[in-house]
Amino acid sequence: MKTKRCAYCEEHPAADLAPPSRVREDERTFIVALAGNPNTGKTTIFNSLTGSRQHTGNWPGKTVEKKEGVWKQGDDRFRIIDLPGAYSLSAFSAEEVIARDFIIEARPDVVIVVADATNLERNLYLVLQILEMTPSVVVALNMMDAARAQGLHIDIDRLSQRLGAPVVPLTARTGEGIGRLTETLVRAAHESRGRDPFRFTPPNRYSPPIEQAIARLEEAIGDHSALAQRYPPRWLALQLLQDADFCAEIASLPGDEELCRRAERERSRLQALYQTDIDALIAEDRYAWIHDVVGEVIRGQPQGPTLSDRVDAVAMHPISGLIIFFGLMWVVFKLSTDVAAPFVAWISLFINDYLAHWVLELLALAHLESTWFASLLTDGILAGVGGVLVFVPVLMFLYMGMAIMEDSGYMARAAFVMDRYMRYLGLEGKSFVPLVLGFGCNVPAIYATRTLENRTDRILTGLLVPFMSCSARLPVYVLIAGIFFPQFRTPAVLTMYILGIVVALTVGLLLRKTLFKRSETSALLIEVPAYRLPTVKNVWMEMTLRTRAFLESATTIIMTVSIVIWLFMAIPVSGEGAFADTPVDDSAFAHLAGAISPAFEPLGFGNWQNASALMSGFIAKEVVVSTLAQVYHAPLEQPSHEEDLGFWAEARLAVASFFQAALDTLKAIPGIIGIDLFDGEEAGAPPGLGAAIRQGFESASGGYGALAAFAFMVFVLLYTPCMATVAAMRHELGGKWTMLSVITQLTIAWIAAFIVFQGGRILFS
Amino acid sequence: MLHAILHELQTASGPMTLRQLSRRLGVQESALEGMIQFWVRKGRLAVDEGAGGVTEMRVCSGIVCGLRSCPGPGACPLTLKTPARFRLSVPGRH
Ligand SMILES: Nc1nc2c(ncn2[C@@H]2O[C@H](COP(=O)(O)OP(=O)(O)OP(=O)(O)O)[C@@H](O)[C@H]2O)c(=O)[nH]1
Ligand SMILES: [Mg+2]
Repeated sequence: MKTKRCAYCEEHPAADLAPPSRVREDERTFIVALAGNPNTGKTTIFNSLTGSRQHTGNWPGKTVEKKEGVWKQGDDRFRIIDLPGAYSLSAFSAEEVIARDFIIEARPDVVIVVADATNLERNLYLVLQILEMTPSVVVALNMMDAARAQGLHIDIDRLSQRLGAPVVPLTARTGEGIGRLTETLVRAAHESRGRDPFRFTPPNRYSPPIEQAIARLEEAIGDHSALAQRYPPRWLALQLLQDADFCAEIASLPGDEELCRRAERERSRLQALYQTDIDALIAEDRYAWIHDVVGEVIRGQPQGPTLSDRVDAVAMHPISGLIIFFGLMWVVFKLSTDVAAPFVAWISLFINDYLAHWVLELLALAHLESTWFASLLTDGILAGVGGVLVFVPVLMFLYMGMAIMEDSGYMARAAFVMDRYMRYLGLEGKSFVPLVLGFGCNVPAIYATRTLENRTDRILTGLLVPFMSCSARLPVYVLIAGIFFPQFRTPAVLTMYILGIVVALTVGLLLRKTLFKRSETSALLIEVPAYRLPTVKNVWMEMTLRTRAFLESATTIIMTVSIVIWLFMAIPVSGEGAFADTPVDDSAFAHLAGAISPAFEPLGFGNWQNASALMSGFIAKEVVVSTLAQVYHAPLEQPSHEEDLGFWAEARLAVASFFQAALDTLKAIPGIIGIDLFDGEEAGAPPGLGAAIRQGFESASGGYGALAAFAFMVFVLLYTPCMATVAAMRHELGGKWTMLSVITQLTIAWIAAFIVFQGGRILFS
Repeated sequence: MLHAILHELQTASGPMTLRQLSRRLGVQESALEGMIQFWVRKGRLAVDEGAGGVTEMRVCSGIVCGLRSCPGPGACPLTLKTPARFRLSVPGRH
């Protein structure tokens, strides 16, 4: 036989065994509990009552903070205890257990229940539960300022009548209504003294079968004086009915077992009648009662759809939502191609003109101008790393677009729209999250598949992620499209993204029909955040964080690969050249890449330069650009301006051209909606590089350069992801699936590029 | 009302937002959250955890450092915070 633990004996030595008439250390000291849902203003009220007369500690055996303070009025002392916030008293969390036990065991003289007037329906659940536990309740209806601002009108008198307890409207933050609260508190405290705390009628009734069960149990409890003296009988009966474990928890006397059996019988009777759990029935009845009360006391609740509802009706519609999603993607790519172009041009000018010039001059000063070191600096690092850095503005605009979509609350809506389509494919709706993440970077996207419960969903989604065009692939598209389709950069880039999605969906559907058959899952309920204006701070933070990550990879991985490639390009294996002074066609690199280039001949880009870029792209997709920049790199000519202006003049020019670029960017913004303030001027690659790349594709494809370039873009989109992604896949999906994925992707990329090039050739000839 | 939530989910043809459901049932949105919480506790509704943990994912110089343990300053481009999602539990799975 176990004895009941007494959580509050320390507090009230008498509480554990006290008969209904409580023993108090002194007749004029009252115990007051402040209860309420989280964040309703309990502590605000507590502070304004107790001022500095408070101390904090922990609840016995818990790490939940306990605040206690004293408020004095004449000869009366009120010990006020700030209970932790809880939505109900179902003993689910530590907070709920503390609140419930304190009210039931320590028997405060008054319980002030703080309710948020703007969320009355939810808050009344706890109010009702407390009204079922004790007769001395004061309801503090807080946040009245916010309720007024929302145009809510609450009939306080009617609410008070329905609850059978005083209700005090309050704005705790400004102190408005605190005076009335204290008056009501004092009155309630004095009234509580003359009253039997166990004999009261709560305001609500349950369905007749439940009420009958309660009545029978109440009667049985009356036969057990020990229990009847510890708990309000109706509350105890209700508790025994809805919680099968509660009886064992409180049972300590011989007669209690009979009571527990009684409760068990009542429970099974109700269960047989309703075919569902009793606690759900009880909660259902409570909610119904609350709904009725709320309907009666609240007026002026905004009924019509708000602006946000109207926006959602369009943005979350299965068809228009999809159009809006792709429309916004279009804007983002427009931003990162055309609007970013002046900055791209400026960085290109800065690196290839000014910086290169300065480096050459420094080298000349040190008499190193025609050594291998000069070649490493200019043909290796400057060409490679510089070739990628040029595209930093492209990525910044992409990251900015994504950050705005996320911060405004739109992305959650896009996920909602996509959920339906994912489901059509037999994919879990949540798979959309890793897939969208994949647009940023495939690596975290692969890890995000972890959040899918089902293993087949995880594998399937993981296999599809690499088809999502990650941001590292964007510079490749911008570079190639800028050279071959300067007028159609944005459509070309968007086509890549859509192609990636289409291929992913097709592959997904095929896999679903073959390897991964599955059963249905139920519909989803999604909590969508409110729309808000994205803050400059958040967007800036996201943007810089991601850009920094990119820069970091530029200075490490890309630098390393650039140096390695330079090294292979510097080693002569044929011809007459010497180290660091050999025509690239004779270099080790050309021979190495040349060995695999025949595989790309049917695709239109089968020369060693393109093959080498694709090869190094396996390390990281950014490297495709840096390698192209290196292998097509024309040796640095003398700077384009006629006479040498000197460092400071050049620096001034560089700064001036930066502001010109900023201005051009502003001018490019109207271009998003089709207004072109430029006359289609080309930007991106430095002219020499662009010409070299164009030349390379033209000759490799037999005159179909643009077609080959497009096929190249398709290949870059679809072929094996970078090393980090493959490592992540191996980690998450296992070696077998990773192998399969790598091989499948290579195959798909090759076939797709083949179709583009050969199909196009037939079409256009 | 409580049971109506389950019924709505069983018969829905597509995803629903909390707001849409609260409109349909005529319940304040916050109250609906409370009801959903009730079913979550009972194991009748399952919460999908979002990709929240992944927001902490760091990729430094292309090398994945795993969750929350990356020493470097870089973070991988684009992470996504997803809102809470609920669905009916598969019977017998809770
Ligand atoms: N608009 C408005 N805000 C209020 C009012 N009273 C309190 N608040 C704010 O509501 C928030 C929560 O207040 P707290 O007093 O900490 O709420 P609590 O009930 O103690 O919260 P927990 O202890 O977490 O359960 C704070 O930001 C308060 O400033 C009010 O009357 N009107
Ligand atoms: Mg508090």
